[in-house]
Amino acid sequence: MAVKTESRDGLTVCRVEGDIDISSSPDIKKAFDKLIAQKTQRMIIDLSKVSYVDSSGLATLVGILKNMRSYGGKMAIAGMSPKVKSLFEITKLDKLFVIAASEEEAAARL
Amino acid sequence: MKQAIAEFPSEIGYIRKTSSEILNGLSRCKVTDDKLFEIKLCVEEAVRNAIVHGNKLDGKKLVKVSYWVDGDRFIIEIEDAGEGFDPRKVPDPTVNSNMLKESGRGMFIIRKLMDKVDFNSKGNKIRMEKKLWP
Repeated sequence: MAVKTESRDGLTVCRVEGDIDISSSPDIKKAFDKLIAQKTQRMIIDLSKVSYVDSSGLATLVGILKNMRSYGGKMAIAGMSPKVKSLFEITKLDKLFVIAASEEEAAARL
Repeated sequence: MKQAIAEFPSEIGYIRKTSSEILNGLSRCKVTDDKLFEIKLCVEEAVRNAIVHGNKLDGKKLVKVSYWVDGDRFIIEIEDAGEGFDPRKVPDPTVNSNMLKESGRGMFIIRKLMDKVDFNSKGNKIRMEKKLWP
């Protein structure tokens, strides 16, 4: 698992690689805690290199969203595979998150 | 697939180990990627529940897993050594008041993706069934 972060023009893009599950979630949370401590205002989480997310991973992403909302930050998720997206649809989290096909679309919606 | 039985201590590493062994066994059954993904996810969610919620990560407590294919169905039973729970009392994570809660989606996912889900009366053993072919 890896999280690569890039910031430009007031937008932070976090590209996650690997599974987001019970084993990797603590490290992912740690990586995002730093960005939340900095009160990042606009953030895209790119999941195009993530092929598997479990309920621990969903919990981690909901936690990031909650923390960002607490100070008025906005986030979107981009590039989900159909399988990962289906999990968001089943759990109705597709209604909670801004979900975009690409980073460009996500940026336009934030 | 003949019946396979496994027993292991309550350690997180056994979640992926268990699903990998099952998917390896099912790889010869010509099951679609989508179904394999769903089985992997549900097995991992159920084993995780057994280790984390059932046995409360107590390494001395074991998790028992038994799985087989019967006709066109994959069947798996997962039992922990905990006190059990009432599956009817698990809140629906999709209602508005629960949407921002970070936990509570594992059992919901299992019920959505498996064809049949049952528990023993104590609530420490889950049985899941999934049709493998259309």
